[in-house]
Amino acid sequence: MNAPELNAQLRRSLAVLVDSADELRDLDQQLGDGDLGITVSMGSRAVIAALEELPGDATPTDIARATAKAFANANPSTMAALVAGALLAGSRVWADKTEISVTDAQAFVEAAAGSIAQRGKTQRDDKTIYDGLADVADALKGATDARQATDAAVAAAAGAVERTTPLQSRRGRASWLQERSIGIPDPGATALLRFAEAWRVSRPEESALLS
Amino acid sequence: MRKIINAPEAFVDEFVEGILLAHPDLVKIPGDDLRILVRADAPVAGKVGIVTGGGSGHLPLFKGYVGEGLCSGVAIGNVFSSPSSDQIFQATKAVDGGKGVLYLYGNYGGDVFNFDLAVDLAELEDIPTRTVLGRDDVASQPKERKTDRRGVAGILFAYKAAGAAAERGDSLDEVAAIAEDVVEHTATMGIGLAPTILPTTGKPSFELPDGEMEIGIGIHGEPGTRRGPLETADEIAEHIVAALVDDLELSEGARVAVLVNGLGATPLEELYVLYRKTHQMLTGRGITIAKNYVGEYATSLEMAGASISLLALNDDRLALLNAPARSPFFEEN
Repeated sequence: MNAPELNAQLRRSLAVLVDSADELRDLDQQLGDGDLGITVSMGSRAVIAALEELPGDATPTDIARATAKAFANANPSTMAALVAGALLAGSRVWADKTEISVTDAQAFVEAAAGSIAQRGKTQRDDKTIYDGLADVADALKGATDARQATDAAVAAAAGAVERTTPLQSRRGRASWLQERSIGIPDPGATALLRFAEAWRVSRPEESALLS
Repeated sequence: MRKIINAPEAFVDEFVEGILLAHPDLVKIPGDDLRILVRADAPVAGKVGIVTGGGSGHLPLFKGYVGEGLCSGVAIGNVFSSPSSDQIFQATKAVDGGKGVLYLYGNYGGDVFNFDLAVDLAELEDIPTRTVLGRDDVASQPKERKTDRRGVAGILFAYKAAGAAAERGDSLDEVAAIAEDVVEHTATMGIGLAPTILPTTGKPSFELPDGEMEIGIGIHGEPGTRRGPLETADEIAEHIVAALVDDLELSEGARVAVLVNGLGATPLEELYVLYRKTHQMLTGRGITIAKNYVGEYATSLEMAGASISLLALNDDRLALLNAPARSPFFEEN
């Protein structure tokens, strides 16, 4: 995937992701402070606007950085800051690249997951977005082509939500609920899943089928 | 709720405008965002910049310590909430004089996330940064979890020392090391007597029955470690000073700086009653008070109560405290 393709694919995916804002808000009201819906909707719109403004010769790194900045500024929340930091960490592994392969995507997700683990002082089974990112990073390791990689990412993100729903939240505001968090899907991990699904339905070949 | 405000949502912007109008010779905003305040002569070429930040509602904390010999800039959040990473980054760019920027602020989750993201943003523009967190509140965590403590009034000492070091031309690593050293040797503890009322909600931050006090209170009305019957001023000072002396392991012959801080609604007279006993206790143990500050240095709107901070001194720390400094709320000649 070259840089203009990446830019367009991201914008299409985020336009789809916005549709999940209400679901994420409701989940976050149960397990957090309820601002995840607005973080996702305002963040996605701000990123789309920022990506439209990028010059044609912007590199994949430029695209990731513009995405991070726009997402962080749209609605400053803990989640927005963590995700933006993760995107910046990912952007560093793409230095000097003009095309993004499945291997590059895997390296990006791995770096992003590492950033969240470190900044958010979180690990697997704490029941956060990190569970999703770590599982997706692992799933992408075996992928060979873009289509298979996307399917693997969606399956891993879905698996992470399913795996962590019965667990007790151990990070952030959700941790204050203690046992009451058991049985509720994690809003952050769910947001990642919805993004992965949005990425899949907005692939050019899928869009062609839909139109 | 009785407050002198216009609209709750305009509160922060309007008090910042007031500060700018009152002190145009000392502070300015570098762009058009009222949430980014820098010293009037920023950026100072060839000197390390210091950016602080945090929620509003604590004046003179954060925004009051921007000036010569103190912080170079501040990112201002809403009442009791963090500024955005972009505001911190804009403050960073506005104060960078080519020698990098120290982030010096209190250990609160939202602030940490946003400052850490600003570190990334600054790195993209090749501005080196270092981070030191104020974490002086001994009541918030026991000594073995010292690094998790929250930052309260004692950060004043770190501002003063790091600001003096930056002013004399120390490198970024040196200024950061000085800030870290001062934080390491600072301890604070506070008590709350009446809650604050948030302009946004109009509701008290906690309820406290008559005749009780909250011991180990935070500066956002976070509950203390325990609640007990209201003690006399001397008893309060005794408990707090004993805890601080213990935490800093001060022995006879030690030198300290003392800060008796009002949380917003406690009269200066009462703070001096606390200082009296603090002074007697320290000198009674053979500890010399080389410097003292009594007044409002870190508040929580109209919360009643006070905190006492001690900084264990050596010659270097004392010299840095005594160096000249000037801001709209703080002066040292």
